[in-house]
Amino acid sequence: MWDALSTVMDPEIPAVSVVEMGMIRDVAVAGTRAAITVLPTFTGCPAVPIIKEDVLAAVAGVEGIEDVAVEFSYEPAWTPDRISEAGRERLKEFGIAPPTGNAPVLITEIGLPTVAVCPYCGSRETHNENPFGPTPCRALYYCDSCRNPFEQFKPI
Amino acid sequence: MSDAFASLLTALGDDELVLGHRHSEWTGYAPHLEEDVAFSSIAQDEIGHATAYYSLLAKVTDTDPDRLALGRDKSGYRHAVVCERPNREWGYTLARHWFYDTADEIRLGSLELCADEDLAALARKIRREERYHLLHADSWMKRIARGPVEGRTKLMDAIGDTLSESLGIFEPFELEEAAVKEGLWPTPSDELRERFLQRAAEELDVLGLPTEIHAHAANDAEFVASSSGDLIADQEGGDGGSADGQDTVALGLGGRRGHHSADFDQLWEDMTGQYRAHPGATW
Repeated sequence: MWDALSTVMDPEIPAVSVVEMGMIRDVAVAGTRAAITVLPTFTGCPAVPIIKEDVLAAVAGVEGIEDVAVEFSYEPAWTPDRISEAGRERLKEFGIAPPTGNAPVLITEIGLPTVAVCPYCGSRETHNENPFGPTPCRALYYCDSCRNPFEQFKPI
Repeated sequence: MSDAFASLLTALGDDELVLGHRHSEWTGYAPHLEEDVAFSSIAQDEIGHATAYYSLLAKVTDTDPDRLALGRDKSGYRHAVVCERPNREWGYTLARHWFYDTADEIRLGSLELCADEDLAALARKIRREERYHLLHADSWMKRIARGPVEGRTKLMDAIGDTLSESLGIFEPFELEEAAVKEGLWPTPSDELRERFLQRAAEELDVLGLPTEIHAHAANDAEFVASSSGDLIADQEGGDGGSADGQDTVALGLGGRRGHHSADFDQLWEDMTGQYRAHPGATW
């Protein structure tokens, strides 16, 4: 089951799987029935219905499973520290600075890390352009060293 | 599910849906690009929160969230009147954004203790996201409060217009007493309203912004400003509603009982037009 789920990519960050994102809370198998509980990153994430379809499609081929139920839950609330080390690397490769996780960070007036590390050049000479971005979970930054705009996964 | 729980979820979902819709009207029109992105993103969050409240309701009432969001007649909506007001200008939008998200923070803080575990978990999740909305509103209030006179004057006018109407967010919803008894609404609305007024007055005071409420509300004696400038809600003020509730709607009240202003007519037409034109369509 977990192998099958590892092939389901986050529709908005197709370099990272939902397993690496830490979005799969439980997989319960009883006989030929499976129940999968998924934690959405943000409540308003428009990718949620797509994730459900992709999860259903991925596990449909698992031998011995005939019936699959996918449930979404907010308990516990998804937090960035659920992202695996591999997932953090994939995010960086995709041009998104991974969230700062549980490490103590200085928080600015707008609630974002004062220092975001550029995923392209590793510079800490960066600044926040906008606490909101192209999806609910991302903020916009600019690297003053390599002069690339980049995104930061919001701490939440 | 109790009827009181359904009433609570409807009020919560409708607030987020209707204000989210208003926020989305800045998409393509905000004063600059970064704010276009910000308001579009906030709108997406709010409508997502509405979807989550409706989904919780739909799960137990066996209907679908889209139908709850878009398949009702105007009088079926239970959002606070302040949420349906047009965006007018930037100052008004920001003042309403700030009051609403301050009110929502207080409301969610209480809902985290809800006896229904699904709603409590949802409130905890939503509150983490709403933090960004409130910080966005806060940073704009500070920026304008400390900025040039013109912007400050416009913001002060907007505060006068929105503060009294924002009290409608804490107008009790239908069957609230039962919801309180069942532990679904841990803090009664009038108590939350006091917390809101106190917090808003303190924060506005720090910014040197006015805390007086707009004349039309004060004249009605339903809410009065004390001599110190602090806001006091007059507990004796009845609902004062006429048969159609339009005089209370003019004060920003009545929304929780399904009374809405003409401002909601156009919004409802726009918001539900697609759904009504193509019932049952999927895309």
